[in-house]
Amino acid sequence: MRIRNHLFIYLLILNQVLNANIVIENASIWDGESQKQYLGNILIKDERIENISNRKFQAEKTIDASGMIITPGFIAPDTKIGILEIGALAVTRDDSDDFYHIGFSIHDAYNPQSTLIPWNRSNGISSAIATPSNGNLPIGGLASYYVLDGSLDIVSSRDIAMIASIGGTNNSSRAKDLALIEDLLSLAKDAIDNNINSSEEINEFIEDSALANRLELLPRDIAALTKLVTKNIALIIDVHRASDILKIIELQRDFDLRVVISGGQESWMVADAIANARIPVILDPLNNIPNSFDQLGARNNTAKLLDDAGVLVMFKVDRSHNYHLIRQGAGNAVANGLAYHSAINGLSSNVADVFKIKDRGKIKKGFYADLIVWDGDPLEPASMPLYLFINGEMMDLTSRSTRLRDRYTNQNNIPNTYKD
Amino acid sequence: MHLLRTILVLFLLISYNSFANNEPFKSTYYPLPQSNILFKGGNIYDGEGNEFLNTDLIINNGVIVAIGEDLPVSEDTIIKDVTGKWITPGIIDIHSHMGVYPAPSVSTSSDGNEATSPVTAEVWAEHSMWVQDPQYALALAGGVTTFHVLPGSANLIGGRGVTVKNIQRNTINSMKFPDAPHSLKMACGENPKRVYGNRGQAPSTRMGNIAGYRKSWIKAASYLNKQQEYENKSPEAKELEYRPERNLELDTLAGVLKGEILVHNHCYRAEEMAMMIDIAKEFNYKITAFHHAVEAYKIADLLAENKICAALWADWWGFKHEAYDMVQANIAIVDQAKNGTGCAIVHSDSEIGIQHLNQEAAKALSAGNRAGYSISKARAMKWITSNPAKAAGIYEKTGSLKADKNADIVIWSGDPFSVYSKAEEVYIDGALAFDRANNLKPVSDFDIGIINASENRVN
Repeated sequence: MRIRNHLFIYLLILNQVLNANIVIENASIWDGESQKQYLGNILIKDERIENISNRKFQAEKTIDASGMIITPGFIAPDTKIGILEIGALAVTRDDSDDFYHIGFSIHDAYNPQSTLIPWNRSNGISSAIATPSNGNLPIGGLASYYVLDGSLDIVSSRDIAMIASIGGTNNSSRAKDLALIEDLLSLAKDAIDNNINSSEEINEFIEDSALANRLELLPRDIAALTKLVTKNIALIIDVHRASDILKIIELQRDFDLRVVISGGQESWMVADAIANARIPVILDPLNNIPNSFDQLGARNNTAKLLDDAGVLVMFKVDRSHNYHLIRQGAGNAVANGLAYHSAINGLSSNVADVFKIKDRGKIKKGFYADLIVWDGDPLEPASMPLYLFINGEMMDLTSRSTRLRDRYTNQNNIPNTYKD
Repeated sequence: MHLLRTILVLFLLISYNSFANNEPFKSTYYPLPQSNILFKGGNIYDGEGNEFLNTDLIINNGVIVAIGEDLPVSEDTIIKDVTGKWITPGIIDIHSHMGVYPAPSVSTSSDGNEATSPVTAEVWAEHSMWVQDPQYALALAGGVTTFHVLPGSANLIGGRGVTVKNIQRNTINSMKFPDAPHSLKMACGENPKRVYGNRGQAPSTRMGNIAGYRKSWIKAASYLNKQQEYENKSPEAKELEYRPERNLELDTLAGVLKGEILVHNHCYRAEEMAMMIDIAKEFNYKITAFHHAVEAYKIADLLAENKICAALWADWWGFKHEAYDMVQANIAIVDQAKNGTGCAIVHSDSEIGIQHLNQEAAKALSAGNRAGYSISKARAMKWITSNPAKAAGIYEKTGSLKADKNADIVIWSGDPFSVYSKAEEVYIDGALAFDRANNLKPVSDFDIGIINASENRVN
């Protein structure tokens, strides 16, 4: 068990309480799957949601959530939370490395004590998929999932997705990039078809491949690619242009992949094709800027148009330090026509479903108790969590930012350095 | 002969003087067709800190006439029922790079930083602005009627900024806010020292930055002194010598020392802002606003005492070390300093943020009230209207719904601090510039026929 939990349990024993049941009463629940909110009482036992019901539960601790909205903890689907501290300081960044071109996993770089975690958590992000930044190849780099409780006893899922990108660049053609991705996926299929497993076999396999030689691939790279073509991991492709998206749909069909589109500024133009291919889209609803010639179709209501077509939508923002602003993005998506429950699902259950994150993303009996009691409408950027639970544990909502705030708004006769 | 020579010299002097004093690149702005309108029954934040519920507003000949009830109307007044809607002044962004960093963000149009020398006071942002930038129209749909475009922050002294009315036209002069003062962009901290330090030249440190500003002001003071010495000479003495040669860089800096050009200073850290205030005192100029100022809350009283505005984000942080100490109540703390005499501004520095300054203000307001202040929405509205107008030097003309000011106004579908509310109509000088319901909006040349030859780009 964790050190912090030891302390927690110790304190509970002091209080002569034997289990840590909590009930949240009279909450207006958006559960991450229902189309409407409903009133209910939520019983949390240990790490999980024990029950949800209209009837009263007895528990050691009761939170009255009358008039308050409760949602699942929100999940960041494509972020650098935990693998980067200060954007412009390379020494604090672990999100990219070109030694392993494809099999580079950021998993072990995760820092549960990063300041990005308490800040994002206190604004409603309870877990995250940390994605590496692209290296030199159009495909490569492995993302991992983390529960943002800040504990050094990290709860994570290693290497759940690979990343890729297709689009205009300064030094290559997207035609080559697509061909290269195809060739690499074919290489992975060859490895599987030829039953290449042992490290000796993989080394020999690389030796025999002109492409693997040219790219200086290593066994980790081949292993990562094989996970992709066996659908063990998802492929998050950063792509905007409608014509490129159609090529990605062909790629998914030809290689039987689990593609997820990230960005997708022009995805609305091919919404039906995306829906038919059952490809989900991670998008930034606030980004309506035609920032490149691939993004000319950027618009305000892409989320609505995709949702209407039956595409699962999730939300992203550029800056991981404030990744919680996916709430503001989702709110703007609703202002531009997206159904409210679709916005909530996009912040929670859709991410869990798409990335096969087990028992999270919904307020549901038996699921982990990752949930938030809000002081207002969670899609209003002015709202904040009042209580946030991760794995059934009520999180401290203090952040470095609130500490600094309190230093400078109290006792102004004392130098800040002599305050808490 | 002597007489002839005198006349010739006088003529040359006059023509030289008129050349020197004539403002080049003068605004040729004129409004769109105006209407006289009575907005009936709206809820109003006037930008001065007041809230009026279910009240009327009249605009006439492009200016605000009055807020009130039973206001007298002329025959040609259009009566518009705005019951349940909100009226605010047009939103003003004091920190934009639209036009100088337009969309698409391609190298051939990225013209915001003349990063070839740490002091480039001679360049003017308006000379880089691309008038067809599709971003102006997006900002207009967010209620932005005026914005101030600055050069970037690569340089210690980056050049002049420009204030424009958000009426997209095919010359910059025809967009420029009439008679708005010029501004000067200065930058502290990481950016200049990184840009020039990486090239092995000064400045490469923060102390190098400070030396750089002071060296420039010494040159500027000496230049201004020479110009004024000449001006103060008798006509006879002037006859005997030429006016000192003009220098574009020092013209700008001297304009600051004369109080004609407003200083907008990109500066994040508290101690650096304090030092910039010392430099301003050393050379006797005024800093109008610190921009970004993530640590403004640490010296909020100092800013209020020196009557310096802080133009801030609601929540940006962490992209640089100097932006690490973010406090979401920063804007509120600056606002409340010295018994509420602080000047807080919500700025965007972003083509996306500029479309949602109302939402950014909402975040800053709620963070302030969570920190223990009790700030009203009516007061917070000043952060995106009258305060940026003051910092741009155009407060006498716009930024609040006071009588005789420009009728720059926004009709919102609901509470402007809600994510669900939208700017429905935007008026600039009493002329309808954006109408969501009727799809009236500017479409830049960039936007037409670009995805589909017979259609316009989206939004």
